[in-house]
Amino acid sequence: MARSLWSGSVSFGLVNVPVALYSAARDLDVHFHQLHEPTKARIEVRRVCSKENKEVDWEDIAHGWDADDGCVMVTDDELAALEPRRTRTIDIERFVALADIDPMHFDHPYFLVPAGGEGAARAYALLAKVMERSGRVAIGRFVLRTKEYLVALRVREGAIALSTMLFADEIRSPGALGAAQPDVKKDKPTKRHVDQAVALIEELSTDFDASAYEDRHRKRLEALVKRKRKGEEIEAPAEPETPEPVSDLMASLRESLKAARSGTLVG
Amino acid sequence: MWNGAVTIGALTVPVKVFTATQSHTVHFRELHASDGAPIEHRRVSSKSGREVSADKIVKGYETSPGHWVVLSDDEIRAVEQPRRKAIEIEHFVPADQVDPVHYDRAYYLGVGAGGRDAYATLAAAMQRTGRVGVGRVVLRSREQLVALRARDGVLRMSTMRFADELVAVDELEIEEPRRAPTPAEVEMARKLVDGLAGKWEPGKLHDSYQERLLGYLRARAKGKQPDLPEADEPDEETDDLLAALKASVAA
Repeated sequence: MARSLWSGSVSFGLVNVPVALYSAARDLDVHFHQLHEPTKARIEVRRVCSKENKEVDWEDIAHGWDADDGCVMVTDDELAALEPRRTRTIDIERFVALADIDPMHFDHPYFLVPAGGEGAARAYALLAKVMERSGRVAIGRFVLRTKEYLVALRVREGAIALSTMLFADEIRSPGALGAAQPDVKKDKPTKRHVDQAVALIEELSTDFDASAYEDRHRKRLEALVKRKRKGEEIEAPAEPETPEPVSDLMASLRESLKAARSGTLVG
Repeated sequence: MWNGAVTIGALTVPVKVFTATQSHTVHFRELHASDGAPIEHRRVSSKSGREVSADKIVKGYETSPGHWVVLSDDEIRAVEQPRRKAIEIEHFVPADQVDPVHYDRAYYLGVGAGGRDAYATLAAAMQRTGRVGVGRVVLRSREQLVALRARDGVLRMSTMRFADELVAVDELEIEEPRRAPTPAEVEMARKLVDGLAGKWEPGKLHDSYQERLLGYLRARAKGKQPDLPEADEPDEETDDLLAALKASVAA
């Protein structure tokens, strides 16, 4: 089991459930390192004072905030003092319906695991049981490192899952699209077109199976490394084309539907 | 940020991709505490300790300790050679089958040139069926699995985590209680959940820490030295689950 990122407790009324937090997502990306080309030595980043031209230790670094008229310097101690007291607890504020939450709010997924023997295990089992029964999601807050997070707790596969959530002001409104914003009143599609598009969607409908999709990018990068190791030359790619809009919407809908029915649409 | 099209077979819907999120996290620069001078990041060779210029830096993949395969940016880019800039939809799935843990970064799709009709048609059809389109697109030289949703006539796209990028519950050690919660405890906890039931109102929830931090920084910028809050004692923990539940419901 991976290392826990945080431990504390979920506070739910006057009940405290001691828990440890684990990431529910892992990074499987192929990572590259920066190298010095002639010697193949790893590149390191050094922090240097621009005035003294000397390397600076971590503990001698302060934080600068750019105000309208100059820079304010604050220390780690000041920042730590401003942190809210709730730093060891996840305070549940309310229980809401999952369907009401726009999926755009969900940010990073985690799992909570009971930490602290029988008392913790019982309180955890109780919270999981009533949440699963109610079908509701618990909304709360907590502080991880120096940031306050809005979180949603719900039951996944019998365990309590936590997601950090974006605050409303972290999500732009569709108005940010400017001239590209669709005009729902003016761009009324014809029923004929929509019916045909619905038929196409239904033809391509299936149940969601996450394991049906593999990360082809990762596979290709691994293959590239193998080829390069054997000394093969790799050519630079051509720029991709931007597809042209269709001139006859109905004709392309019909053509796509026909291809979908014969199973030749994808691939 | 990206002009292309959603394609479903021969159907082409020209779109523009826009980031749907924005960060409000207070941003700091690094300063040297003793003299307030800005900190510079210098790239040095780990062997010689000497600074290295940007044109002498390459990307390497470590095949075994100390052994590197060197790759240029062009070679890494060559891994993804899309013929065209397209979000290629492969399937449509019921929206409620896609758990939000799969969703990663969120985007809006705007209407691309000459695409008003096709956009409105696709959005209306997706809303009518309540389905999510699953497909692939190359963004920033990386093929992404994406989910397309329609809401209020606007198409939204999320990049998705692959199944093997998610941790399964059986990889965790979750201790089972020796004694299951009693019916009285379950009933009391249910009352507590009902008592806290409410609506999801994200507009009412603010990042109070960022607000407090900004207030402090603005006061400091005006030459003031505001008092820093003192740390509170943590709450006492209780072992009596039923008593705590009863007290919570009564509160």
